[in-house]
Amino acid sequence: MAAPEVLGGASAQQAPPAIQLEQLNKEFLLSHQPYASLKGLLLSFLPRRLEHLHAIKNLNLTVQAGETVAVIGKNGSGKSTLLGIIARVYKPTSGRCIVNGRVAPLLELGAGFHPDLTGLENIFFNAVILGLSRKQTQERLEQIVAFAELEEYIDAPIRTYSVGMLMRLGFSIAAHVDADILLVDEVLAVGDAQFQAKCYRKIQEFQTMGRSILFVSHDMEAVRKVARRAVWLHQGALQADGSTDEVIGQYLQAMNTPA
Amino acid sequence: MIAQWKEIWQFRELLWTLILRELRVRYKNSALGFFWSLLNPLVTVMVMTVVFKYVMGMQIPNYSAYILVAYLPWTFFQYAILDSSQTIIGYMPVIKKIYFPRELLPLGATLANLVHFGLAMGVLFAYLYLIVGVPLQWSLLWLPVVIVSQFLLTLGLSMFISCLNAFYEDVKYLVSVGMQLLFFLSPVIYFSEQIRHTSMIPEAQRESLFWAYHLLNPVATLLMAYRKTILPPIHVEQQNPAMSAGRVVFPDMPLPLWLLFVNLGFSLLIAWLGMRYFDRKKWGFVERP
Ligand SMILES: Nc1ncnc2c1ncn2[C@@H]1O[C@H](COP(=O)(O)OP(=O)(O)O)[C@@H](O)[C@H]1O
Ligand SMILES: [Mg+2]
Repeated sequence: MAAPEVLGGASAQQAPPAIQLEQLNKEFLLSHQPYASLKGLLLSFLPRRLEHLHAIKNLNLTVQAGETVAVIGKNGSGKSTLLGIIARVYKPTSGRCIVNGRVAPLLELGAGFHPDLTGLENIFFNAVILGLSRKQTQERLEQIVAFAELEEYIDAPIRTYSVGMLMRLGFSIAAHVDADILLVDEVLAVGDAQFQAKCYRKIQEFQTMGRSILFVSHDMEAVRKVARRAVWLHQGALQADGSTDEVIGQYLQAMNTPA
Repeated sequence: MIAQWKEIWQFRELLWTLILRELRVRYKNSALGFFWSLLNPLVTVMVMTVVFKYVMGMQIPNYSAYILVAYLPWTFFQYAILDSSQTIIGYMPVIKKIYFPRELLPLGATLANLVHFGLAMGVLFAYLYLIVGVPLQWSLLWLPVVIVSQFLLTLGLSMFISCLNAFYEDVKYLVSVGMQLLFFLSPVIYFSEQIRHTSMIPEAQRESLFWAYHLLNPVATLLMAYRKTILPPIHVEQQNPAMSAGRVVFPDMPLPLWLLFVNLGFSLLIAWLGMRYFDRKKWGFVERP
């Protein structure tokens, strides 16, 4: 399915696409063991049927540089898996995932913090992973903490943070590392209204600076506000791709008509 | 393999962050913390010295120096591997959310232990040359080869074990038992010469036992090499009331250089295999049950 041109400044068309997915597939092997152990290894030599879970099916998708695309779909439809592949957390089973530019992922439930490190140490760790030098991180430290409004807690270990605080810190780091591509997976929902508003302003700022955003949310109001183009994932396959209003309309209609 | 190291180089600032963090935790954020961290090996070696000198009747001048010179590299080996083995599990919340070369975790833990080892060796050298008055010897020039070989061996094993531990959580018990065994199978509290001249087995087989011991246990060769390169040769004498002879002498044996290079070659092989194994398995960390 070809992506219709929703956004299309002349400059955006010349730059290489930010994200290009070709025939992307991801299968998970489902194991029914509660935890991994050597006993499990021994048992695994016994003949048994392994269950495959096809989480992403033959996905083709191109996101232009500077474009914001919302990804919607039911729970378990593969949205997080898709973002995980783009963030290079998962390796695709087959197909290609070409990413041009630096990715700042905000994957669901926390932004990749080490529970025993303090907020400050985690900022260092994450910012350096995302491509800043230690010096640049040092220079932006104050900004990052201030944006997250976590001055008082920054020396406490991350495990003492609430979900909302984790989200603030994660968003603040991602917003300050000059990434070209921002991946947002349902994280904004846990913030309070005031901080959410701040995040949306930051996202707008991102958009005017010509960065790309992949935005996953179940909040259709937010989706309409953020993205002009949306894709609908259904059981790992692309069900629709088009203007946000159209795709949301189709999606909600399908939701309301029991199959 | 080259791509792997290239990527590690790209992420060197992150590697540095990891090393600093490990050291900061170990030294509890204070310079004094480093000296506190030396207390444990010092006390251990003092106890060993007392036991072996006065209880077992080993007659060696500066016995504790000979033990320390092997014990410090041993602790480097042991802690680098034990620390590395926990890294993948420990950083799993980060691994699941963000990309960075996973190799950095065991590599960082191993390097942090190498830095600590270097500092501890610095203190040991100050003690040996300024207080004990050990003469400088030419064989010290081989010390870098010994350290490189040990680092490569340790790194390779760290890669293997951190990987295995990520998939099979009971590996860590096997590793700590293995470490205890290896400690007694390696010449820390005794000397390689004692293996060569042991009266436990017939004379004709002693030589082959000695070489088998070193060729099958690379850690033994490394510890022997540390002793021989840093300290002057000694003849180990043991007062043994249980034996009819009463006193046993184990004459010094210089380190054969070919053994050191066989060891280096083996370490290179282990490092290469370890990195390759890790490379094959690293994408599975996020998908383990
Ligand atoms: N690590 C994993 N191992 C096995 N199955 C997984 C794993 N991660 C996700 N899945 C499965 O893949 C499917 C898609 O999940 P996900 O991408 O999280 O969906 P969404 O984010 O759209 O709710 C689900 O059926 C989920 O159970
Ligand atoms: Mg999800």
